[in-house]
Amino acid sequence: MTELTRTGVEGLDDILNGGIVKNSTTLVSGNPGAGKSILCLQYLYNGVEQFDEKGIYLSFEENEDDLREAAESIGFDNWADHVENGDIKVYDKRKLLRENDFSSSLEILLDDFEDEQYDRLVLDSLTMFELFFDDEREKRTYLLKFTDILKENELTSLMTNEQGAVFPDTDIGLENYLTDGNIYLIQTPTDSGVNRYVWVAKMRKQNIETDIFPMEIAEGGLRIHQNASAFSMMSEDDAPI
Amino acid sequence: MASVDILRTLGNKYSAEILDATDEPQSAQDLSDELDIPIATCYRRIDELTEHDLLELHDNILSDDRRRIKVYRRNVEEIRVDFEETLEVSIEERSEVTNKLDQAWRTLSEG
Repeated sequence: MTELTRTGVEGLDDILNGGIVKNSTTLVSGNPGAGKSILCLQYLYNGVEQFDEKGIYLSFEENEDDLREAAESIGFDNWADHVENGDIKVYDKRKLLRENDFSSSLEILLDDFEDEQYDRLVLDSLTMFELFFDDEREKRTYLLKFTDILKENELTSLMTNEQGAVFPDTDIGLENYLTDGNIYLIQTPTDSGVNRYVWVAKMRKQNIETDIFPMEIAEGGLRIHQNASAFSMMSEDDAPI
Repeated sequence: MASVDILRTLGNKYSAEILDATDEPQSAQDLSDELDIPIATCYRRIDELTEHDLLELHDNILSDDRRRIKVYRRNVEEIRVDFEETLEVSIEERSEVTNKLDQAWRTLSEG
């Protein structure tokens, strides 16, 4: 039986048929503002609060204060405490890129991975991480090696990716093939604001719901609604994927 | 003059092929077989390239028959020759980040 790591995100674990496969790497894709970072914050926060699992947050995008403010803005009031206690270890962009030298941070990171006290990891974003590599082949090789390292150290990981849902004419990034799971966060503008959806396109070893489900971002983070018919969905022809 | 030395070393028969093939660590015997180089020449080229830091001794791995085998990996990604002012050979080394990931990944398989 496959062991699962529960995200604790309302509605998402049901779609995933229980959770994310333990020690796997899942790509969270979406346009800016789609909710990728919020999902990641929530994943680590729930890990500590609900499942007694520690996490590591790697951010090339934001610094520690921004992350804390983002967490507190959706009601994760204990975020700062968890960071202080070391239940959530944050490597923000300042730490990761200190003296313009990611390689020395990488060394510290690799030590932490081996430490075995962490169960969850977030990499925000893979897009930035990939900038350290020169060409497609190198990106591919090192993404595979990196995910191998995470897996062997028993970390269940989310990686964010700046990519919208795939339109017919666009290429699907290599990343989508190299990771165990793919979750897309989709936002479409409407007259009154924005409609949000989540689509779990792939999850290796798991029997998942592959429909697109409506979601909202509110106090407490992402909330996914199982009952798709209660929302006005786009017609089949207009579907973004 | 160091630059000319490097070019001379690179220009020797099989040197470029050896660098091309050592993206992942290879033993002298592997290289000799794969590139069809006489084994003595292969050792000589490896020594020359190592002397100029173009190639590095990466590890001593244990073979199937429990002997220690030296494996080599190239240390450079790109070499540029500039004739504009004075002859200048610039060498771009492999990135530290990839080196560290390689190392960590290798210890997984050993662990």
